[in-house]
Amino acid sequence: MTDHHETQAPGNSIIDPAIWRGMTQRRMSRRQLLESAGVGAGALSLSAFLAACGVKGTTSSGGKVKPGGIGSSSWWAKQKLHRKVNFANWPYYIDVLHGKHPTLEQFTALTGITVNYTEPISDNDPFFAKIRPSLQAHQDTGYDVIVMTNNAPPLGYLIDNGWLTPLDQSTMTNFYKYASPLAKNPPWDRGNKYTMAWQSGWTAIGYNSSVIKNPGTSVGVLFDKKYAGKVGMMADPQELGSLGLLAIGVEPATSTESDWAKAAKKLQQQKSDGIVRAYYDQDYINRLKSGDTVVTQAWSGDIFQADLNSKYRDLSLLIPDEGGMFWTDNMCIPMSAQNPKDAMTLMDFYYQPQVEAVVEYYNDYVCPVPAAKQVLLNPTGWAATELKKMKSSIGLPASYTADSPLVFPTAQYMHRSMAYYQYKSQEELTAWNNLFVPITQGA
Amino acid sequence: MEQLVRPDHSGRVTPRGPRVRLSKAAAPYLLSLPAGFWLVALFLVPLIVMLSLSLQRCNFGTGACVMTWHWGEFWQQLSLYHTQFATSIYFAGAATVIDLVVSFPIAYWIAFHGGAKKNFFLLMLLVPFFVSFVIRTVVWEFILSDQGIVLGNLKHAHLLPQSFHVLATGYAVVAGLAYNYLPFTALPLYVAIERIDKSVLDAAYDLYASKREAFLRVILPLTIPGLFAAFLLTFIPALGDYVNQQILGGTNDTMIGTVIQNKFLTYFDYAGGSALSAVLMAIALIGIFAYARVLGSRTIEEYL
Repeated sequence: MTDHHETQAPGNSIIDPAIWRGMTQRRMSRRQLLESAGVGAGALSLSAFLAACGVKGTTSSGGKVKPGGIGSSSWWAKQKLHRKVNFANWPYYIDVLHGKHPTLEQFTALTGITVNYTEPISDNDPFFAKIRPSLQAHQDTGYDVIVMTNNAPPLGYLIDNGWLTPLDQSTMTNFYKYASPLAKNPPWDRGNKYTMAWQSGWTAIGYNSSVIKNPGTSVGVLFDKKYAGKVGMMADPQELGSLGLLAIGVEPATSTESDWAKAAKKLQQQKSDGIVRAYYDQDYINRLKSGDTVVTQAWSGDIFQADLNSKYRDLSLLIPDEGGMFWTDNMCIPMSAQNPKDAMTLMDFYYQPQVEAVVEYYNDYVCPVPAAKQVLLNPTGWAATELKKMKSSIGLPASYTADSPLVFPTAQYMHRSMAYYQYKSQEELTAWNNLFVPITQGA
Repeated sequence: MEQLVRPDHSGRVTPRGPRVRLSKAAAPYLLSLPAGFWLVALFLVPLIVMLSLSLQRCNFGTGACVMTWHWGEFWQQLSLYHTQFATSIYFAGAATVIDLVVSFPIAYWIAFHGGAKKNFFLLMLLVPFFVSFVIRTVVWEFILSDQGIVLGNLKHAHLLPQSFHVLATGYAVVAGLAYNYLPFTALPLYVAIERIDKSVLDAAYDLYASKREAFLRVILPLTIPGLFAAFLLTFIPALGDYVNQQILGGTNDTMIGTVIQNKFLTYFDYAGGSALSAVLMAIALIGIFAYARVLGSRTIEEYL
């Protein structure tokens, strides 16, 4: 494997180093895992018996590639195409036209690889819990490509437990040619050993501009008593807690447990003041559309997608001065996947500007391929045909997507991006959840 | 005393007694083996697993759990979620009381006036419950939605203000619970009332009891064990219910069942979820024992 790509490309200038500050902290390492597992290991035999009654787990060998082992260049050289690939993604996260996915059809047409595209991932943790037993048993999970978010613990677990197939760097041609500096060499996966970005986005503030003419530039709008009972918050403890930290003026990535307690207090106050209507999962966007809420925590692409529909042109996104939480969903290949070579082909295929332009016209999240902007503005060939076909169902011209800083972020937008806190141990995660989950659990 | 030895036809005495006695002594145990196995495999083992899990610390990354004897877990979870416990007890209690009030007349009527069609009436009571629990509740959500067929039309006719809503309130949750657990109240009550010898009523009237007195002083005391059984069979499952609140409730009426479900399936906090389950079970058991002491456990067993 070559290492030339591990140094940051000079084109990185649009990223403020501060963005990555928190992300550079290591996720829980294998050693830490073992340390925490060792607590009380020498205790009474009764405890061993009782522990045996509980859930048993194994730690797999860590993330090192053994010479000739899975993921090594000699291993990759032996892999063959099987002409099929199982791709597991999140719902509504790929271009759709009349119930079909144009980019996937194009992929099949060009490579002869049929894609079994499914959308079983609606949350990181539950999906990880579903595939974990297979991975522990060194069995195929049934998926060749999965998409995991960098802000949630499972991606780190997958890497640290050695449950991802190291990528075949020699076939990532499009990736190294077209990937944005945001996607190359990210802090959570140095050298793109295991992952390639699918999309990125912000968790920021969505509001109804016909009701709120002047939202200001601060997260304070979510705490404004003027909108009591009309404010939506997210039920996800990481999203909720991060917003709370921004509200008390603390950078989530570098926060401490005492900051968390203060943030929780602030959020509890917001709730007891009757400001919050509800804590939502994916449903928040419908509540904003229906008018149940007028301002809400929101994912950037959702607001943009809604905005494309003439009915919801009033919905706007605010990335506050305190910062917008920036996350990336990453494609990766689980260990023991049946069709790794087909998976590699698929992942690299999506780094072509033509393909990504079509995806982005539908998705409107942050695009990992900057050159897609030019395709959206001046499409040619296949992309031109597809974009034209999609226009009637999407409504607005492709240039609207191309010009959006939410899809092709400007330096100013990137500057306001914030990284999530990376839990350094299971105890930290439990402590965080014990502070923020009760807020969302009513009563 | 049994005869230990008896002469066989040849006049010899064979000592057969002890063998007979042994199998006799073992018989009840052998017969209770299936039930015992059931109790151990499906109740005792899961219970021990749950209790031990609440004292363990689990690593979500590897799924490995380590016993830490962290007894503080119970207290911590209780302090975090005590309001949800209170809500659960309140809602389940309210639903049970409603069910008792509603199903007593039904059970009474079927038992005393059902005549030859008793079984038909009982079947009618049960028919709605042949449909899946979740589907029935979702249909209620549909019926009661803010702009649904009931409220929407009433609002349209200006009989209700626009902001009026039933869903996302505690009332909707209690109503859903009461609806879903009604057969668990009605059937034990019916069994208890059905058992009453009708001639005791005649006796009461012969002794110049008014209808009201006959009911309060004869019928009601005789149905108390049935009332108790009905209460248990309704209150206990309603206490841990998590479907009704999620579908019909709002944000300020979360029941402990929902919290436990989220702990296990959303946040994978097995220790916390187990601890909350254990506390819930302790509350239920304490309630049962307190109740049993008041009413006497023998009569309870009869009706359960």
